[in-house]
Amino acid sequence: MKSTNFNSAHLEKQKFTRLLKLNLPHMKRILLASICVLLVNGALLIKPYILKIVIDDILTKHVVQKGFYSLTTLGILYFVVVALSGFFGIAQVNLINRAGQEIMRDLRGKVFQTIQLLPLWYLDKVSSGNLITRATNDIESLSEMYTDVLISLFQDVFLILGIIFVMIMINVRLAIISFCVVPVMFFLVFLLKTRIKRNFRKMKSLIGRINGFMAENISGMKLIQIFYGEKEKKEAFAKLNSEYFKVTSFQVWMNSFLKPAADVFQSLAVAILIWYGMGKIANQTLQIGVLYAFTTYIKQFFAPIADLADNYSTIQSAFASADRIFELLDQKENLEDLDSGISMEHTKGTIEFKNVWFSYNDEDWILKNISFSIHEGQTAAFVGQTGAGKTTIISLVSGFYKIQKGEILVDGLNINDIKKRDLRKNISVIFQDVFLFSETIGKNISLNDDISNFVIGDAIRTSFAKEFVEFLPEKINEPVMERGSTFSAGQRQLLSFARAIAHNPAIIVLDEATANIDTQTEILIQKAIETMSKDRTTLIIAHRLSTIRNADKIIVLKQGEILEMGNHAKLMEKDGYYKAMVMEGVKEYHTHIY
Amino acid sequence: MGNNILIKFIKDHKFSYIIGIIFMLLASYIQTLFPKVLGYTIDILQTNGFNPKSVYINLVYIVLIAIGTFVCTYAWRNLVIGNSRRLECHFREKLFDHFQKLSPEFYNRRKTGDLIAYAINDINAVRMTFGPATSMAINGMVVCVISIYSMANTINWKLTLLSLLPVPFIICIMFYIGNIVKKHFRKVQETFAAISDRVQENITGIRVIKAYVQEDGEVKKFQKLNDQMLEANLNMVRVSAYLAPLIELCFTISFVLNLIWGGNMVLNGSISLGGFIAFNGYLAMILAPVLSIGQVITIFQRGMASLDRLNEIFNVKPHVKDGESRAEFPAQSTIIITELSFSYPGSDSEALSNINLVIPTGKTLGIIGKTGSGKTTLVNLLLKMYNVEPNKIAFNEIDINDFKLDALRNGFGFVPQDNFLFNASIAENIKFFKNIYSEEEVVNAARNSCVYQNIMDLPDEFETILGERGVNISGGQKQRISIARALIKNPEILVFDDALSAVDTVTEAEILKNLRKVRKNKTSIIVAHRISAVMEADEIIVLEKGKISERGTHLELLEKEGLYHEIYKFQFGAS
Repeated sequence: MKSTNFNSAHLEKQKFTRLLKLNLPHMKRILLASICVLLVNGALLIKPYILKIVIDDILTKHVVQKGFYSLTTLGILYFVVVALSGFFGIAQVNLINRAGQEIMRDLRGKVFQTIQLLPLWYLDKVSSGNLITRATNDIESLSEMYTDVLISLFQDVFLILGIIFVMIMINVRLAIISFCVVPVMFFLVFLLKTRIKRNFRKMKSLIGRINGFMAENISGMKLIQIFYGEKEKKEAFAKLNSEYFKVTSFQVWMNSFLKPAADVFQSLAVAILIWYGMGKIANQTLQIGVLYAFTTYIKQFFAPIADLADNYSTIQSAFASADRIFELLDQKENLEDLDSGISMEHTKGTIEFKNVWFSYNDEDWILKNISFSIHEGQTAAFVGQTGAGKTTIISLVSGFYKIQKGEILVDGLNINDIKKRDLRKNISVIFQDVFLFSETIGKNISLNDDISNFVIGDAIRTSFAKEFVEFLPEKINEPVMERGSTFSAGQRQLLSFARAIAHNPAIIVLDEATANIDTQTEILIQKAIETMSKDRTTLIIAHRLSTIRNADKIIVLKQGEILEMGNHAKLMEKDGYYKAMVMEGVKEYHTHIY
Repeated sequence: MGNNILIKFIKDHKFSYIIGIIFMLLASYIQTLFPKVLGYTIDILQTNGFNPKSVYINLVYIVLIAIGTFVCTYAWRNLVIGNSRRLECHFREKLFDHFQKLSPEFYNRRKTGDLIAYAINDINAVRMTFGPATSMAINGMVVCVISIYSMANTINWKLTLLSLLPVPFIICIMFYIGNIVKKHFRKVQETFAAISDRVQENITGIRVIKAYVQEDGEVKKFQKLNDQMLEANLNMVRVSAYLAPLIELCFTISFVLNLIWGGNMVLNGSISLGGFIAFNGYLAMILAPVLSIGQVITIFQRGMASLDRLNEIFNVKPHVKDGESRAEFPAQSTIIITELSFSYPGSDSEALSNINLVIPTGKTLGIIGKTGSGKTTLVNLLLKMYNVEPNKIAFNEIDINDFKLDALRNGFGFVPQDNFLFNASIAENIKFFKNIYSEEEVVNAARNSCVYQNIMDLPDEFETILGERGVNISGGQKQRISIARALIKNPEILVFDDALSAVDTVTEAEILKNLRKVRKNKTSIIVAHRISAVMEADEIIVLEKGKISERGTHLELLEKEGLYHEIYKFQFGAS
């Protein structure tokens, strides 16, 4: 138990130093800001001192006012001090904010970059919402800490130090007396610290769960209504919500207690101070002005501490966010390195699998001892029931996952040795669910690459997407709505073909879409596949056996193993699994036509 | 509606609010006593040979003030701020309830992320308004009023008036700068939303980005937004940094006036030194709430804007009207559709026109047709996902509009096109979170939809959690689980909305065989693109542009040599 405590304290320290390290590149601005802070604080300390002079010398001792030593000049001096401190205050806020916002920008950029390079096995594991919040809300809450809290915290720390210094300079004993309540206060905060932190974590995770629950149920609302599951869902939500309420209630209680507690300590300090000072004043060893100045200092001393109770939640929230951000940035070793390895400008397109074993979790083998080879320009088709491992094979060809045993060779080179950027540039993957960005059609085809409109137009023609793009009001400049919802599944598929063709790859990998495609579009898709696979190595995952009759090689998979391999004619001869699958279709055909 | 919720909540909690506000007023009042007591104490200390007893009494007052402030603040914070949290949760629950009542039409037009923002951000803004901001405002007002009163009454009214001279300027500055800040703030929010959108889209499309090595371009695009965000933030800071120093400067004028004039008054004996000190104390006390007015105003503005947004949502009425007279769906019901035409709300063209159809009980209907031909619309209308005109659809001669919605939908088992499953265990997904099915029923449903073996291969079998934080299963498996979810209901009418698209032909045949067995005397409607899914049906209709263009059995339709035959030829590759 002790060791974990030590460990967490150690981690806490590490996180803190990491946060501090982010400041290093902006040291110049921060130093300048610190100077401003010192000046602002100096002003804060001078102000009560001017009052002390006024009270002690002019109002109590009735010293003759002359020259500098008059109420008027002291008043003007007071004003000048405030004006100067205002000026430096503005400068400091601007400086710190520039540094802070730049740090946030860099951090946000780094997070985004990390997400880009995360390997798929990692992305499979985490929810997308989780990643999105890291680049947005989590950075935001760090930034909030920077702008709302750190700046004042920075100032407060200096101020408190300054006050302590001035008080000690004026009167050591009074100073010590004034601070006698501080240890009690710290003890109290220390007692509550871990509970506050724990509670805060809980709050964050609960709000995340509420968010997720809402998102899921809004997406599935139609089903909930059809299945009349409103009551069950309402109960589940109420449970979650009341759990959240319980956790927030603790926070409310905490703040209700801590905030006035700071005020109590302040008043107590003043009372103790006066109680101690009254004897001294009676025997003339202490001036009233000093006593009054001390009460002001005490107020200045406690004000930031009282604020701390409010700021504490912002700080905790930011720390929780920092945890999540660092956790992501710590994936460094896992990130994909796109640029190391043998470069490969143009692939010929031979692919060979040699005794490949693969599993997503090192336990359940998805592919077991798979071997095959596909020559340049050939078309290979993978068939088998869902879950047979078809989709996995195409993910491996692009180097999205590392295999555990065996070798995958492209143009005779081990896939692990090839520069990933080059490898993927040579392979265009067409996914089963087509993803379209909310940009124009043209941009969706060229993506971020510099591809001329001519090439895009050509790709649209060869993919038969022209059939419908032509009729759009803006043609290739037609904007695509969120996730392409205005296009049918078939149209989206054709656009993804155009995307692949425009990138002119040596290898095309196609995971045939299954759902919702009407026969007319289906015919276009078939034609497009034919033209696309000409002169290119093509891997097709087929769901309709009619699609692949002309493939050079048909690979039949069952539960991760190759069952049969060969072209259509050869496999039909063999009278095995493939033939059974084909016959299933033909049988239906025969029984119903005759 | 949203306002009603708010008003009702406040009414229901009026005692805690009233008591809370009383404590709040008390706390503010007690706080304002402090400078006075301190002033008295200084006055006593100043006199030569003062009586220590009277000082002790004042010290006791100071301690009492501290305790009083603590108790009152503790009480009101727990009550008022606690209520604001309660309000937050209450609002969220009501909103979720409301969401559940809204029709698909509403959801077609809204983004999920947007709707969640209502439940989290907007409700939070409302909470901030009715909790911290309200109490800050009340507290500030009380402190100001009492301070000014004490200054004028107990010390000197002329000095008070003079000291308050800069206040109008302060208010002007605040509004002026506040407005500029608001504009910049909106810009910050806009860029933030743009960044969120960008990240969201990027992550959902990450596979495409990786496959086409677009990482660098994406980072570049993101950096541009990122720079905009930086600029927006700094622009806001540049203006808002002036606010506090300017207000303080204005206040300093009061302070200096007090210092010079008040000091002279002490010298000529028209006020006491203690009075002077107390006066300073009050001035300092006013400064804090005035400085926070800007903050309070922005919180209020945001809260009110959010309340408006929430009201808008709460005012959306469910489009589909609930029927009243029938609470029970008839067993053995024949579906009769007469002259049914339908256009989607806000659209001119008819999605369905003049559909006439009778599906006798126990029969199977197949529907085939192009994308956009009206297949899904037709089944959606049977489930009354949209309003249906009277006398168009009837079950056993009872009009669809007579049924209570839950009764109607209870009569159906539905498998949608998109295989939406919840982030819960497989068993719960099949049971749809209802505890009315036995384990055996769950297993049977899974067997009949040919997914039993797949489920048993998973690590926790039926208890395997699906979804983002759970196990990812293939589209075909998802589809079969959602078939099981419909089958377990053993409904009067079973609807497959293109629900066999993600399974291979072998599995498809097997599922259809099972269906014939378990659905012997019950009605089924199968919508499909594939002929093989519908050819066994008792009647098949071909939809084209919202109209029935062909109808009959498989063999009858083949003989017609129309669209059906064409599709058939294509799919079976027959020549």
